[in-house]
Amino acid sequence: MAVMQNNSEKSKWYLPGIFTGLGITFKHMVKNIFNKKEMITLNYPEEKYEYSPRFKGNHILTVKKDGSIRCTACMLCATNCPAECIKITASEHPDPSVEKYPISYEIDMLRCVFCGFCEEACPVDAIRLGPEWQTPGLNGANFTYDIKQLAYRANLKGGVQSVVDDQERHKSGI
Amino acid sequence: MPKCTINGVELEVKEGTTIIQAMYDNHQKIAHYCWHPGLSIAGVCRLCMVEIEGNPRLQIACNTVVTEGMKVNNNSPKVKEAVKWGLDFHLINHPLDCPICDQAGECGLQEQYMEFGQYNSEMAEAKTKKHKVVDLGPTVVLDSERCVLCSRCVRFTDEVSKTNELGIFNRGDHAEIGTHAGKELNNKYSLNTVDICPVGALTSKDFRFRQRVWYLKDSEAVCNGCSTGCNVKVYFNKEGVFRVKPKRNDAINGHWMCDDGRNIYKFVNKENRQLKGMKLANGQWTVDLHAGSVAKDAAQVLKAASSDDTALVLTGQHTVEEYESIVSAFVNQFKTKNVYHWWNSEKTASDFDGLLIRGDKNPNTKGLQTVLAKHGVQTQWSQLESALNSGKIKNLVVVGPENVGVYNDLAEKQNLFAKAHNFIFLTAAKADVLKENKSFKNVFVIPTKTFVEKAGTFVNHAGVAQQFKKVTTIVSEALTVSEAATLLVGQDIKVDIVADQDLFNAENKRADQVALDHRKKNEFIFQRGRL
Repeated sequence: MAVMQNNSEKSKWYLPGIFTGLGITFKHMVKNIFNKKEMITLNYPEEKYEYSPRFKGNHILTVKKDGSIRCTACMLCATNCPAECIKITASEHPDPSVEKYPISYEIDMLRCVFCGFCEEACPVDAIRLGPEWQTPGLNGANFTYDIKQLAYRANLKGGVQSVVDDQERHKSGI
Repeated sequence: MPKCTINGVELEVKEGTTIIQAMYDNHQKIAHYCWHPGLSIAGVCRLCMVEIEGNPRLQIACNTVVTEGMKVNNNSPKVKEAVKWGLDFHLINHPLDCPICDQAGECGLQEQYMEFGQYNSEMAEAKTKKHKVVDLGPTVVLDSERCVLCSRCVRFTDEVSKTNELGIFNRGDHAEIGTHAGKELNNKYSLNTVDICPVGALTSKDFRFRQRVWYLKDSEAVCNGCSTGCNVKVYFNKEGVFRVKPKRNDAINGHWMCDDGRNIYKFVNKENRQLKGMKLANGQWTVDLHAGSVAKDAAQVLKAASSDDTALVLTGQHTVEEYESIVSAFVNQFKTKNVYHWWNSEKTASDFDGLLIRGDKNPNTKGLQTVLAKHGVQTQWSQLESALNSGKIKNLVVVGPENVGVYNDLAEKQNLFAKAHNFIFLTAAKADVLKENKSFKNVFVIPTKTFVEKAGTFVNHAGVAQQFKKVTTIVSEALTVSEAATLLVGQDIKVDIVADQDLFNAENKRADQVALDHRKKNEFIFQRGRL
């Protein structure tokens, strides 16, 4: 790496530079004290920035009308996942019209790269990337999200309903 | 011997060969559902259309016999159009089940659709609803909606298993596969119907929803369920083995295999395996030992013993190569011919059901007998019993069975083996039951590899020697019987070590491998951040 060295006489006069910098800081302080609305910083934990609805944040597993999980455990999301962070265990559902459903659906949030390929691969709108992006946790184990957290966490308020409905599809003859 | 030209390739085929058979034998691709090389011709799917020169209409290849000078092709636009619309008719009532269908990934409909189809359905009417998740029997589940009525399964039960359970009921749109009243699909070969089903209509209860097929790799092996030695494909991934399917071998098993043979993957998987070595000394079990260290401890015991009080017991479930190494170790190193053959199914050995299943539930009884005869071992099981009872044999090495499910006499034999002062047990199956038996004095348990984890040879009932390659590794620490034999005689296992300077030599180089200089250069550029 090339290091630029300036050994000129002018560079030894540093005090004017310091005062210019302090002046800029002082100017902004005065501006922010008398004009709080225009201030561009946020009081983070209390105030939060609103992202666009297309933002790819934490995953949501959608639910059916009756509140059960929409996912059919087809594993296309797991197949498409470039980070290999989705782990699904499929099982047979007692209801023959459902047939297959996941008994466990885990996403390792620390491995996830939030590319949204799972959302694109899903044939039944069972997984979406939501607007939440804050994922605090105390240790690594807390970042493996299961069905309970992905589909029914508190701020989803009972779950997000999928737009693909089997009964409607059957009625329309598909 | 008529000569014909198929897709520009000149072929000479046997008298009476159909066009599709000729194409199949010469590895030419042709769309088909109902035709199967092991079954009779039905001609119901109308997908194997071919254009025959001089014939104005397209013909089905499966029911047209090759005649002298016939010129056939199946790649003209006319044929492709016919197949495309034939496929559209098949898909009229086919549900969009691919995400939850077990067949997805190896489905005939998906394959042909990608090849010929790729269109939107032109049907305005709603799809006919049929029965889903129909329980056909203990092994198979039917989904009538997915069925294309190729009748392969019906013909299989008629012609191969000869049990006639399945039939096609109703007509037209409502036609469905089903079992005759009061019957269920319950025969020894029922899972073959799942294999030959070109779509996901018949699925195996055992494999259902356990894995998507594209997560599985397959490799060829020889079934170790009985002395027939069927050629099989083993489907596995890093979590273990998931299913077994037959591989065509006309000399041994044709296209089929039995349902019992499909369970052979179960004892191979980790949950049923002995993962680590164990030792019992002074009434105290030590577990989680390295296999090699247990074998070396056992070698010390055998070294101190005299040749008369040492004996070896072999089961017919290991490869010829392994028998050769362990028997020669005993005969040549320990100078003893006390080698015994533990044969669980000697009485039923000649049983045969007429198709594949044989009464001898060991894959390599013939191989073991040959090796024993070669080394001049002539012993009876009763000799071992009396020698153990009289206390003449103090050190007993037993190479136990892999497929313990077929060894009903296991518990009874344990009590016999417990009479030996030192019991050295080479086993692939979990040996925790030994802990419950309090009569054992000193026990050395050495985990061994199963038939999918080693290369070798099985000699089947007819004396046909079949070589197979290693499929995968399930228990990495387990030893093959040959390795264990080397350790038991006090030698070390030879591992091929490549010297540093030979690492990049020609014999260790893949065809596409980059020369070392280039790699160094690339790495240098990579580190400088310019690549």
